[in-house]
Amino acid sequence: MSVTGLPPCSGSPFLPLHDAVIHILLAIVAFVSIPSQSLAEPIAQEYQEELIQQARRSRLADEREWHLLLHYRANLLGGVTSEEDDEGFFLSPRGKHDPQAELNATIERFFSTDRVGRSQQPAQCAFIARYHWLKERLRFDSSRLAPVTCDRFDRWRAELNPQGVSLIFPAAFLNNPASMFGHTFLRIDQKGQTEETRILAYTIDYAADVPPDAGLEYAYKGIFGGYKGFFSAPPYYLKVKAYRDIENRDMWEYQLNLTVSQIDRLLMHAWEMENAYFEYFFFKENCSYHILSLLEYANPDLHLMDQFHLWTIPAETVRAIVAYPGMAGVTTYRPSRSTLIKRKRALLTTHERKLSKQIMSNPEITGETSFRALPLQRRALVLDVVSEYLRYKGESDDPEVKVYKERNRQVLIERSRLLVPSEKVEILPFTKQPDVGHRTSRATVGGGWRNDDTFEEVSLRAVYHDLLDPEEGYTPDAQIEMLGLAVRHYNRADQTRVERATLVNILSFSPMDDLFRAPSWKVNLGMQTIRRHGCQLCSNGVAGVGIGAALESHLFEREVYFAFAEAEANYSKAYDERHRIGGGGTMGMLVDVTDRWKLMVSGSYLRYPLGDKSDDIRWYAGSRYTLAQNWAVRLDYNHRDRDDDVAFSVQAFF
Amino acid sequence: MKKLAMFALVGAFFAMQGGFAWAAGTPDTGPGCGLGKIAWQNYPHAKTKGAQVMIALTNGTGLNTLAISFGTSGCTDDGKWWAEQKAVMFAELNSDALAQEMAQGRGEHLASLATLLGVPRQEHTTFFAIAQERYAGLTNASDLSAVAMVRALNEAISADPVLAKVALNK
Repeated sequence: MSVTGLPPCSGSPFLPLHDAVIHILLAIVAFVSIPSQSLAEPIAQEYQEELIQQARRSRLADEREWHLLLHYRANLLGGVTSEEDDEGFFLSPRGKHDPQAELNATIERFFSTDRVGRSQQPAQCAFIARYHWLKERLRFDSSRLAPVTCDRFDRWRAELNPQGVSLIFPAAFLNNPASMFGHTFLRIDQKGQTEETRILAYTIDYAADVPPDAGLEYAYKGIFGGYKGFFSAPPYYLKVKAYRDIENRDMWEYQLNLTVSQIDRLLMHAWEMENAYFEYFFFKENCSYHILSLLEYANPDLHLMDQFHLWTIPAETVRAIVAYPGMAGVTTYRPSRSTLIKRKRALLTTHERKLSKQIMSNPEITGETSFRALPLQRRALVLDVVSEYLRYKGESDDPEVKVYKERNRQVLIERSRLLVPSEKVEILPFTKQPDVGHRTSRATVGGGWRNDDTFEEVSLRAVYHDLLDPEEGYTPDAQIEMLGLAVRHYNRADQTRVERATLVNILSFSPMDDLFRAPSWKVNLGMQTIRRHGCQLCSNGVAGVGIGAALESHLFEREVYFAFAEAEANYSKAYDERHRIGGGGTMGMLVDVTDRWKLMVSGSYLRYPLGDKSDDIRWYAGSRYTLAQNWAVRLDYNHRDRDDDVAFSVQAFF
Repeated sequence: MKKLAMFALVGAFFAMQGGFAWAAGTPDTGPGCGLGKIAWQNYPHAKTKGAQVMIALTNGTGLNTLAISFGTSGCTDDGKWWAEQKAVMFAELNSDALAQEMAQGRGEHLASLATLLGVPRQEHTTFFAIAQERYAGLTNASDLSAVAMVRALNEAISADPVLAKVALNK
């Protein structure tokens, strides 16, 4: 085969339109030449009625599968409402709320070849999963209800060439708020696919369609609704490029054990989704939620969506799927580019690392004897590390992108001249797969001392993970806490009060080394209890931001050191003028002593020149021991101004 | 001319993606948990062709694959023609990864391209070696388009006594 000249159908982008016109003309001709439909109508009418009655007698409209196909969920009034928002998805005008009306209308439309839905196909093709389900349940007589050939679906299915389905989880990525909890989508594994060619498989993805220049509106609508979410089927290589190469996110691939007929059901229902859109809600009705709906229709024994009420955290859906007996097969790890660079660089000797660093800034070094003296395979490895790094920089927001790309070109030419293939290196992840992680809601029960009083405390946190929580399965050095509330009873003061509240508390540490230099940052919005000006237990609202840097070492298991410059505003009736605003700094370290035991210590000094002029010295020391995947114990010591606070607690994740 | 062909191919694909419009300025959707705008805002080459293609695909409001798009536009169902288009499209969208893997003499993108070009699995190593050997010559060309890359690799396959016999799509 050789590519010469213009491909037959792409000489001009306008050609397809021309073809479309021909198609329409052909369709009209075909339509006109069909023997008069009115003759057949009374018979069709009769059979239609018969099927509707039969479906009514079997109460098909009440069945779980029909409800899954139409995305019905119980509503507050005792009825059902479909989560689907495109009117074209329903064949009855009452379809959104009325399963029976929708079922009757669906049967009626199967007798016609008129095009329906956004995908503009005959009903039997546009709603092919409904058709096959009803055909099986009602045993359609093909002589009385003629099956329509679905060319587009057949071609699509042939192109997907399905053999299996994998669930893909690109790990959380804190530096993009939209990605901070991770993402899930499905990959339709192809027949004959190997480990090396699986990037050619297609995926089924659900995402919001966001208009240009949405700005702040983006965050608001993303969370509270206003965007439409659609399904799409891009090839996996594009997803790999986006997540692994550009966003630098590790990916996990879970092979799912679905039968051939379950895969067919999944694909047929996915095909129907071309007529669908759902209003998008970042926290609940998001990518992961709607992916669950496809899996549930594939295997109606799965009850996945029922497990998610207020929010759908992608990693939680992975755990829910994997928890289903026999569901998950082989798990594969796909390292991000930065993981790849770090792991491969660790294979270099000190001398080789130094050389690689020099080549990164000057590819000419490859001509010098210091480099040429290395054995062939070692030269290949050094150049591979250099090239990975230069590609990483070439896709970053560095202003020197062009320079990096040119250097990479030079390095690759040098690399190709070595004429040896790179050795295969197994890249291990820095954290375990998401299904071994703790659940994302947390309940804590504990007690302790504060100054000269004792207390008992209970607290709840809606989502997701803090720096001392068991880190297996989570992005390392990243904390996201949302909606937390701690209530304490003080025994001597005989007072029960809200001790702390968290709206959002995010910390992102990015340990730097000689190649990676991303800043660390934090944001905090919440409330805690202070002692000030004679008020013993006073509520204090806090808003704070910080930016800093982190480093890591490996004296025990792993240590991370961090330093932040920060700004903070406080609001409390205990302050003069009810507020104070200032800034300062924090330094501290995290220590993984063993796999189960983790420590954190930090110290802060803040000065408040505005409002209640004052300053604050804080110390914190905390220790966590993991008992099981969803159980941990903690010991925390907090010093703040003149308050000393020690708490021991047991934590359960659920 | 080859460049034009590629643009036309990509353009035709977009035209059939339904809701897609060429984004003026910074594109707006992409990866993320279905909300990728910020990721793309931070991506400096958002205006480059590759990025546009990716955005179009991640923004695709339909389940259409390329096959459907071409199929419904009245394009030929000829398997050979289609295989070529897939190889060129793949090369265009993965040019950086392919360049790297050709130079390194192995990799999943290169293996996938080999598969699209009809090289059977047991001959991949031979194909990798040829690609590595030809890499310097290929990239020294001032403007290496995907079409040119695929053509050069096809020529290399035809010129190799072993591969010429086994490659399926030649």
